Amino acid sequence: MAVLARFDTPAALRDVASAAKRRHWSTRLSADFGRLVGEFRQLYDPTQSDTPQDAQVVPVEWAASPNKLRQTHPDPVDRWRVADSLRSEQDEYCEWAVEKTGGKITRITFSTEVPEYYAFLAQHAPDRLLALYHQLVSPNVALKELVVGGAYQPINRWNPRKPSHGRIVHLSQENNTLGAALALAAAATVQRERNGVPVTTKEALAACSGLGDPFRNSDPQIASVINGAASTGASITLQDPLGLYIDRLVTSGMTTPDGADPAAFWTVERGRPGQVVRASFAVPEQRGYTVGDIKIAGRPIRFGAQVADRVRVRLVAVVKPGSARPRRSPCLG
Amino acid sequence: MNGFANLDGCGKFRDLSPGSLKPRTIHRLIVGRDTAVKQLSRAEAAKQLGDPFATLLLLKGTFPNTAGDILAALDRATKPGDPLRERFFFFVGEATQIPTSERVARDVRFLVTTGRTGFGPEDGPDLMINVFHPESEDAELMAWDRRAGGFNYYRTAIGSNGWIFAGNSRHALEPDSEFKGPFESHASGNLLMKELKLPWVHWHSFSAPVTAANLPGDLRKHPWVAKKDPSGAATCEIEVAIPSVKRWTKRRFERLLGKDGIVERPERVMRQVLRTDTVNLHSSETAADAIEASGRVTLPPTFFVDADTLNGVLGLRPPPFLTVPSKIYLKTLKTFDVRRTDGQGFDRPGDTHFCFIVPERALEDVETIREAIRVGLFGERFAASLLMVDFANPVFSPRREKLLEHAPTSAKITGGRSGFAAAMVKRILAAAESSPDNSPEREFAKRWQAGAKWRSEFSRVLESYYTGLEKTMRTQTGFDGVFRVAETRRRDVADRTPLVESPLLFATANIPPTKRMRMRFDGTAAAV
Repeated sequence: MAVLARFDTPAALRDVASAAKRRHWSTRLSADFGRLVGEFRQLYDPTQSDTPQDAQVVPVEWAASPNKLRQTHPDPVDRWRVADSLRSEQDEYCEWAVEKTGGKITRITFSTEVPEYYAFLAQHAPDRLLALYHQLVSPNVALKELVVGGAYQPINRWNPRKPSHGRIVHLSQENNTLGAALALAAAATVQRERNGVPVTTKEALAACSGLGDPFRNSDPQIASVINGAASTGASITLQDPLGLYIDRLVTSGMTTPDGADPAAFWTVERGRPGQVVRASFAVPEQRGYTVGDIKIAGRPIRFGAQVADRVRVRLVAVVKPGSARPRRSPCLG
Repeated sequence: MNGFANLDGCGKFRDLSPGSLKPRTIHRLIVGRDTAVKQLSRAEAAKQLGDPFATLLLLKGTFPNTAGDILAALDRATKPGDPLRERFFFFVGEATQIPTSERVARDVRFLVTTGRTGFGPEDGPDLMINVFHPESEDAELMAWDRRAGGFNYYRTAIGSNGWIFAGNSRHALEPDSEFKGPFESHASGNLLMKELKLPWVHWHSFSAPVTAANLPGDLRKHPWVAKKDPSGAATCEIEVAIPSVKRWTKRRFERLLGKDGIVERPERVMRQVLRTDTVNLHSSETAADAIEASGRVTLPPTFFVDADTLNGVLGLRPPPFLTVPSKIYLKTLKTFDVRRTDGQGFDRPGDTHFCFIVPERALEDVETIREAIRVGLFGERFAASLLMVDFANPVFSPRREKLLEHAPTSAKITGGRSGFAAAMVKRILAAAESSPDNSPEREFAKRWQAGAKWRSEFSRVLESYYTGLEKTMRTQTGFDGVFRVAETRRRDVADRTPLVESPLLFATANIPPTKRMRMRFDGTAAAV
């Protein structure tokens, strides 16, 4: 590898055909890196510094369902109900919405698309933005509902916090942004100690470094993996194209009425292998049954969150061996 | 899984000296059946072994030395696209969450799986390799026998590329070989992933990621670490352990019913219902580092009741989400001087990374009950009535174990029905007549009397217990008692099973071993 010419769009999506226009996305990320690299010495911008051949690619993976709800809603049915009801609860960089017919689930749509990308489209390719909304949600969407006063509205009638129509466009929860993930990765490079003892486990690190809710699956884990890598003196970045990706649906333990492999009902809607940003789970009509007839560990699927428990989300860090001598800083606060 | 290492638990394997196996030869030592290691001719081996490790490698003259060699040999023996080229790499280590600044034994154990997985049929992988180091010559392997069913257990010995066939899952259930050799820890012939459920204490997972910095130096850049499954134990649970246990249990019952519905050794099935020969370990989801920040410490429900069977199989009322205030938990840790030690100089106050590790009914026993009901060996009311005896102590209950005396030694299933349960009930009720007031037989008789309303009656009894538990968790004295019960059960794991392979598996406490405690139906703890 060498110095990256520019950042690609998430999953190398080609919603914007013009390479010149896509550069604006790269420029935006470079600016984000620029701000962070100055503050965090072990973070590097791959468009400014070399990524050598011996750099390690480190995937970090977690379940899409919100782990923090396990603390407050121990009964799984309660937890699933709450997780489905509001996207503000879906804080693991993956959100979903459910479509039902006659009370039974017919389709669940998952997205890890970041709002920053849609803001970029609004600015540089508004027609494409509208076309995407038409394709993903409804042909009735009007551009004026998405862009108000020149500013893209990430929470809007067609991408609401409370999913009512069963289809969503991109992430909406306040912590589910690419910027937040990058800032977290940067801050996690700092080694911490409490009373002279290194703080390394994910919950303790999240609390010590002020990296958000220690009970989330995603952030504390990203922080822990990056912190561990940085402790060796390495420099860290996120793999291009930067994004949060749906890795897969774990179908083991799922049973269908006709014995069909449930993996066949998982459809990638946007992205490419290894970098999926939108996927849905639905049974083709000719089978004569729906998602609600499929069972997971013996229970019929009544909530999207049951499936979210088995959706894996990933972010990929790149660890460049280095000779930094990280010093430990005390916990914040 | 790491119970697998206890193949060594048998002296016959431990005593094998380096180089004691004949190179490029298949040997057999089924402890209890074979008196010594014997060499198998190619014809003998071909007759006995139908798994892909044997058929693709050993029987074709390929004798890999190490786990890494096995994977390379499988690649050579298969075509692109063969499921045997699909791999999962997992690892587990009791010190993997201890800060790198601490000097502690950081051994890890790898589990590598290959073959069918959850991506396709429901069966789990065909081959599982357990090893301390990818280049170690001391490898252990389980491979699904595609002809006879069950897992074939193999191991090698340092200094030789000869392999020993140590038995098939079915040998775990036969009188001469049960609980011996590999079946000491694989009590019913199943894969054992001890820490099976979230947060999978000690495993790499998204609950507790293990970074390279926390591994022994020579492993930090090893390809197996780089290729580890990112979700770790979460994947292992769903795609390896559960399907593997279901696979063998289902096959076992198919075999069991193979001869005109005559069930061989039904008492062996009942042993898994009533006695604790093996366990899984579950823990709080609260990390020791986060006790204070959490405000409350979550407690694993299966410590209090066999929820996986009573609720998951039999539909009885599930336990509530039980927690204890952090202040109380922290004081308990101080009171009992709870510490982690590796026995080699590392000694620190505090609990394991995820607190309150305790044993629970093993998945293989839960699945055995599920299958026994499915095939008609006994019904739900019978199973529930047995398990409601001393239900507050879901593992290591001498009271339930005593009922094993009354298990008939023969059974026949015809048309999905059997007279086995009726015969056992008759025996227990007869014994109850002449037994003391508080005997397990009388307790069973009381449960059995619930008749057709057993489900609502048992749920009511459980509800009352759960109410008592919630009250117990509110007081220091109450929780101290619960902690003592947990310590009693951890000691039982150490004393009665071969599952404790590292001093860091559990934390230690200053509670004398003689102070044995149990839970009572009112939700409080009491001395045994």
